[in-house]
Amino acid sequence: MGSTPAVADAAAQPRAPGTVLRVTGLSKTFPGTKALDDVTLEVAEGEIHALVGQNGSGKSTLIKVLAGYHHADPGAQAWLNGEPFDVADTADSRHHRLRFVHQDLGLFLELGATDNLALRGEFLLDPLHRIRWRAQAALARELLGQFDLDLDLRRPLAEATPVQRTVVAIAAALVGWEGGPGVLVLDEPTAVLPPHDVTRLLEIVERVRSRGTSILYVSHRLDEVFRLADRVTVLRGGRVVQTRPVAGLTTQTLAELMVGSEVDAGYRAGLTVAPDLPVVLRARDVRGRFLAGVDVDLAEGEVLGVAGLPGSGRNELPYALVGALPGATGRISVDGSEWQPVRKSASFDIPLVPADRAGEAAISEFSVQENLTLSVLRRFRRFGLLSRRSEQHLAGEWARTIEIKAASQDDLITTLSGGNQQKVMMARCLARDPRVLVLCEPTAGVDVGTRQAIYEFIASRARAGLSLMVSSSDTGDLLALCTRVLVMCNGKVTREIAGDEITEHALVHAMEEMEQQ
Amino acid sequence: MTANTPTDRQLQSAAGDQPSGSGPEGAAAGWRSNLADSLSPRNIGAVYVLIVICIVFSIWAPQTFPRPATIKQVLDSNAITALAALALIVPLSARVFDLSFAYVMSLSGVTAAHFVAANNWNVLLAMLAGIVVALIIGVVNGVVVVVMRIDSFIGTLATGSLVQAFISFVTNDNSINSIKLNGSFSTLSQGTILGIAYPVFYALIVATALWLLMEHTATGRRLYATGFNPNAARLADIRVNKLRFCSLLTSAGLAGFAGVMLASSLASGSPSAGTSYLLPAFAAVFVGATVFKHGRFNAWGTIVAVLMLGTGVVGLGLVSAPLWAIDMFTGVVLIAALSANSFERRNLLRGGQGRFRWHPARWRTTGPGA
Repeated sequence: MGSTPAVADAAAQPRAPGTVLRVTGLSKTFPGTKALDDVTLEVAEGEIHALVGQNGSGKSTLIKVLAGYHHADPGAQAWLNGEPFDVADTADSRHHRLRFVHQDLGLFLELGATDNLALRGEFLLDPLHRIRWRAQAALARELLGQFDLDLDLRRPLAEATPVQRTVVAIAAALVGWEGGPGVLVLDEPTAVLPPHDVTRLLEIVERVRSRGTSILYVSHRLDEVFRLADRVTVLRGGRVVQTRPVAGLTTQTLAELMVGSEVDAGYRAGLTVAPDLPVVLRARDVRGRFLAGVDVDLAEGEVLGVAGLPGSGRNELPYALVGALPGATGRISVDGSEWQPVRKSASFDIPLVPADRAGEAAISEFSVQENLTLSVLRRFRRFGLLSRRSEQHLAGEWARTIEIKAASQDDLITTLSGGNQQKVMMARCLARDPRVLVLCEPTAGVDVGTRQAIYEFIASRARAGLSLMVSSSDTGDLLALCTRVLVMCNGKVTREIAGDEITEHALVHAMEEMEQQ
Repeated sequence: MTANTPTDRQLQSAAGDQPSGSGPEGAAAGWRSNLADSLSPRNIGAVYVLIVICIVFSIWAPQTFPRPATIKQVLDSNAITALAALALIVPLSARVFDLSFAYVMSLSGVTAAHFVAANNWNVLLAMLAGIVVALIIGVVNGVVVVVMRIDSFIGTLATGSLVQAFISFVTNDNSINSIKLNGSFSTLSQGTILGIAYPVFYALIVATALWLLMEHTATGRRLYATGFNPNAARLADIRVNKLRFCSLLTSAGLAGFAGVMLASSLASGSPSAGTSYLLPAFAAVFVGATVFKHGRFNAWGTIVAVLMLGTGVVGLGLVSAPLWAIDMFTGVVLIAALSANSFERRNLLRGGQGRFRWHPARWRTTGPGA
């Protein structure tokens, strides 16, 4: 494409003398989707360059291509300090001047900081090839010393605080780096940090930059972008919307750039809930991992959204309500039943479509049909055995209702596209004829075309009286479907937005605002 | 509410697009490709290996190998191995190891032999006693693996060791031998129908029952789901822990039965008779998982694997091969069978987005809490 004015501007600029990393024409196609489309990125020497975008905008794909995990489509070019390097090939390590701290940090939590640093760099050996532990510890102290870290280097990192681990990961990424030009990529380093630790980490990032290292800072927290970054590149739908200095931007304008017009032109179910419909699900004072007392009321035919940043409790609330969050407490009542503790909520038969399809939903060794009918097998019992015919019949019916595109029901589920797999998972849950359905990230890894079909299907179920809860990090899902949205922060519902007030700006604003407090 | 209309229209068009395969040509082609798939070496590789083994030994030992007596010998000498291997299908399908089964076999054999020899019990009652004792060990296994959440590999290794200690304590490591064991107790396994020993028929009955359970009941499907993706199974309303507990009971009960048959065929209660079945049974059940049903432990595949390995062993005996040749044969066949299968899986998964999780060729154990 390259027709977006901002990209044209960037290309027209004379190449700044201090450019450290330059990537042009970078595209990445996965089967069925184009995750990156002609991306251009330039990181200047000594700058903190923020990379922002919504879920599915291509941020993580871009990082993975740079890191050598994915190979780019042919035609991409990349230079680091003026030397070209190949992004169309996968490699263990692209370049020793391009270092990464991935979101999961890549540390060995069973080992201490000394070991972790040594594993990234090298072990100091004596002539008999024994490890010189004393020198090794001194080296680790030296590497970490610049960050004022109060940490016992021998204790396993599992005992360290999240911010300490992040700092160790940064130090590990920089092992053997004697300063000078190069790029350190930080992928959502603050995603799981509590607010006061974020400030601490940002100081450390500043300190790394002050040694002349450029930083590519990937985040969805806009306030951090403003506190830290010199320039920002906004990705949307796999394309670069704009690269520009942060100065002169406001949270509002940046959020608008991230969201753009695509979502506003997107699908709206336009569901309305009559005020007098009965409440189907009530939950009170739900507590547990990341949850600090949440109340939920869900009416018949309502689609209730749950928004919030990672760590806000948005991911955990659905699991707590269906009784799948270990250690959760609170009361729940469905259809006017007696109050029950949430850990016994499995008896209410509330199905949940998880966000992690490969890990928690799809059984990749099973066929489409076996995946679909897994929760309702007792219906096919004839004389104690499964009736193949009625199983096939039910699976076929759902495949038609929810439009699953598969060559055969007996094909492995993994032969389907992400969107069709997601439809199978939804059909598995809906086959149970539930009163309430909980969806986590319903369109994660789903291509744009199927996304709309899923929205329409969910909306048609809601019109038929099904109550839904949709927890999503993708505001597009919430905008498309929800009649009411709970915005969560620090384990509590901090704001409730309903009806026409659910706009992208309102959602982004509510999440960011709470974060800053 | 305008969105209703496109939904309906799309529904209809999708119903029309649905590949139905109901046309006569489609059905015939589908049938033919199904047949080709099910006869392909990828699906029934072990059957082809069995045929090759038969051909090789028929050429190598034309006087002794291609005879009915060989068939009888293969069947009779492998029926108890088959029973032992079949016992492992249920727990392995739910991704639970039961290493204690071999010791349970010894225990139930000793128990049954003891009650017949010392207490003059009726043979069936003694067999029942052996199985009940085995089931008690099954409960202990369930408590260790499911309730105490100890990795099943380690947990059942530990209980197996305890069982062996108990047997040695009670028997002083002496076999139970008595003239009484030569009567109806030994007929349990040494009787024949049409010249074939009873245990062959027991193995066929157990295999049929397990085939029905794993292929044709909801429980079987749930067991596989539990083994392949326990998190998904849990969220799909499957009671993972209950299934794992019951799977350990099943393996203990079947191992108990196999142990009684073993004691009966030896006409003695040997305190270490079961141990030699540990590795052959696991070998057979893992090779069996590559046959008929890709990556799923299944009864008929296990039977084919037992026959394949057993025929090779019998053939090697007939050509008077040295003892080491038998172990070498087993090792080579195991690696060949499992590697061919794992290559194929990798190719298959390269196309899909699925992650490699659980397959017999790439074993990783996890406790029920993992």
